[in-house]
Amino acid sequence: MRKDSGAADGIRRVLVANRGEIAVRVIRACREMGIVSIAIYSDADAAARHAEAADVAVRIGPAAPSASYLNVDAILDAARMTGADAVHPGYGFLSENADFARAVEAAGLTWIGPPPATQEALGNKLAARRSASQAGVPVVPGLLVALDAGAQADMASLGLPLMLKAAAGGGGRGMRRVDRVEDLPDAMRSAAREAHSAFGDGTLYLERLVHPARHVEVQLLGDRHGNLACLGERDCSVQRRHQKLVEETPSPAVDPGLRERLFDSARKVAGTVDFHNAATVEFLVDADGSHYFLEMNTRLQVEHGVTELVTGLDLVAWQIRIAAGERLPAEMLQPEPRGHAIEVRMYAEDPWNGFGPVAGAVTAWRPPEGPGVRVDHAVTEGPLTTEYDPLLAKVMVHAGDRPAAVARLRRALDETLVAGVQTDLGFHRWLVEQPEFVSGDYHTGLVADRWQNGPPLTAEERGLVALAAQSARADADAQPTGQPVAVDGVSPWSRTARSEALRR
Amino acid sequence: MSDLTVTIGEGPAEPAKDWTFAWIDRQRGIGRLARGDESLIVAVEGAGTQWHVVLHGRRVPVSVQSWRERTLAQAREAGAKAGGPLDIRSTLPGLVVAVHVEVGHDVAAGSSLLTIEAMKMQNEVRAPRDGRVGDIAVAAGQPVAAGVVLLRLE
Repeated sequence: MRKDSGAADGIRRVLVANRGEIAVRVIRACREMGIVSIAIYSDADAAARHAEAADVAVRIGPAAPSASYLNVDAILDAARMTGADAVHPGYGFLSENADFARAVEAAGLTWIGPPPATQEALGNKLAARRSASQAGVPVVPGLLVALDAGAQADMASLGLPLMLKAAAGGGGRGMRRVDRVEDLPDAMRSAAREAHSAFGDGTLYLERLVHPARHVEVQLLGDRHGNLACLGERDCSVQRRHQKLVEETPSPAVDPGLRERLFDSARKVAGTVDFHNAATVEFLVDADGSHYFLEMNTRLQVEHGVTELVTGLDLVAWQIRIAAGERLPAEMLQPEPRGHAIEVRMYAEDPWNGFGPVAGAVTAWRPPEGPGVRVDHAVTEGPLTTEYDPLLAKVMVHAGDRPAAVARLRRALDETLVAGVQTDLGFHRWLVEQPEFVSGDYHTGLVADRWQNGPPLTAEERGLVALAAQSARADADAQPTGQPVAVDGVSPWSRTARSEALRR
Repeated sequence: MSDLTVTIGEGPAEPAKDWTFAWIDRQRGIGRLARGDESLIVAVEGAGTQWHVVLHGRRVPVSVQSWRERTLAQAREAGAKAGGPLDIRSTLPGLVVAVHVEVGHDVAAGSSLLTIEAMKMQNEVRAPRDGRVGDIAVAAGQPVAAGVVLLRLE
C-alpha cells in the first residue's frame, strides 16, 4: 500500500472553512502532507485552538455563524487574500451546501468533497430515498412522495407508529414520532415549522418507525476515476434526540453476510449519483437483520476517527489526495480492518436535565492518554462560546477486540477530568457499565429507555460531594488572601466582592 | 467547619464522615477524597456559598452556608414568600423569543412570563407565585446567559 503521507499534486494551500476540533483535525492532515493550512476565525474564536494550530489565520467576522462560518463571501475573500488553492469544509456549517461548493469552484479553487450536484441531489432526503428505492436498495416502508398537508386517510395502512421526517432534514430536526393517527396533523404542523426554520424548507415525508433498530452506516471513499472503497461500517445506535453520542466499528450487530449486503446497498446508492471523495451511507437494521436505507451524507462524519483507527488510513489526507486527482490504490478497495474502535462524544450539555444546554467556563481539562487512546478536541480553559456546536471532545479507543476496547474506554473515561461545565462524561461512565452496552446487544432506544434523566446521586455520593464542597469552602475561608476558583467565567474576586456586598 | 452546612438540591447533605479531602491542584480546583486505600479524584469550583463538585463525571451544584448566611437566606426567602420582591432568573442560556407581560401586570402563580428558546426548544418561564411585574430586564430577540435576572416580581 502507498504510504499514508506525502503531498497531493496541485494542492499546496488549504483553507479550512470550519472551527473547533474538526478544523484542528484537517490542519493536522495538512501539516503531515506538507500543505500550508489556513484557518478562519470569528471574533469569538480569536484565541481558539484551530486558529492557533494553522500556519495562517484570518479573521472573517463577528461571532454569529451567519456573519462568520456561514458567510460565503467572507470565506472566499479570505481564500483569495491568503492564496489558498483548495477549501476543506469539515462537517456542519457549509460542508453540505452545494451553493458554497459551486462558489468555491467558480473562484478557481478545488473543493475537497463530493461534487456540488451530488451534494444537492442527496441533500433532499426524500429524492435520495426515491432514487435508492429505484436502484433496488431497501428503504424504510413509507411514502416515496412528499406528504400533502391535507391527506391523511391512508396513513394508518402504513402501520403505526410512524416517523415524520423533513426532506431537507438532518441532525434530528423536523423529525416527529407519531403514535396515533389523530396526532398526525399537530405533529405535521410542528415538524414543518421546525424544518422550515432550520432548513428553509418545510417539505415532509413519512416512514414507518423501525423499532427496535440499530443505526449502522458505511464509510465510502471514491476517487475521480470510478474506484469506490467501502471502509467498513460504524454502529451509531447510542443516540439522544436522534443525535449520536457513541460510535463503534465494527458493529456488534453485523455479521459477514449482513456486512456484504450493507456494502452492496451503499455501492448502489453511490451509483445513483456522480460520486467521488468521502461520504457515508446510513441504514437502519431491524431485529431480523433486515436493513433499510436512510440517507447518504456527502461529507466527512464526526465519527470518522474510529474507521481510521481500525483501517490505519487517514481519511482527511485521502480526501485531499482524491480532490487532487489521485487514484485509490488496489489495496484500499479491499481493506482489512484490525481490532475494534469506540468513540464517545463529550458535549457541554446536561444529561441529568434532558441533555439540555449549559453555559459556563472550562476551569480544568485533563483528557485521557495512554495506549490505544485518541482524543480529538479543541478545548481551552475559559468561557464556552454559546454560538456554536457544544461538542467539547471526542474520546476514541482502539484495542484488539470489543471487550478489550470497552475496558480501555472505561479506563480512559476514569482518567478524564473536566470541570466548570456539565458534560456527558458521567453519562458515558454509566453507559460503559450497562449490560446491554457491554454485551453489544443494544438499540437506538437505549438512552431513552434506560437512562431517562439519569440515576439520582446515591447517599454515599451525596456525602462525598458535601465533604469536598465543605472542605473547599472551609479552606477558602481560612485563607485571608485565598484564591477562590473562578465560576462561570466571572473573576473570583468580583464574585467574592459581590457576595460580601450582599452580606453587609 | 461545623458552622458550615451543606445543601444539595432541595435537601441538607451530611458530609461523609470516614473520608478525608485534600487538594492536589488548588489553583485549578482538583482534589482527592480518600478513605483507607480507596481514593477518588474530584474537581471543586466555587466561592462564597455557591460551589460545584464534579464526582464520577457529574457536576453537582452545592450550597455551603455559614450560620450567618443561612439565617439571612431564610429571612430573604420568607420575605419573598410574603410578597417581597423576587428576581426571576434564566435557568438555561438561550434566546428570549417572547415576553408575555408588561410592567405593572398582575400575574398568577403558574402563568407564563416569557418564552426562551434553547437548543431549538421553546421553554416557558412561569411565575412561581402571584405578584405584580416590577422591572423587565430583557426584550424579545435578546440572547441570555444562565442565571441572569429576567424580570422582578413585586
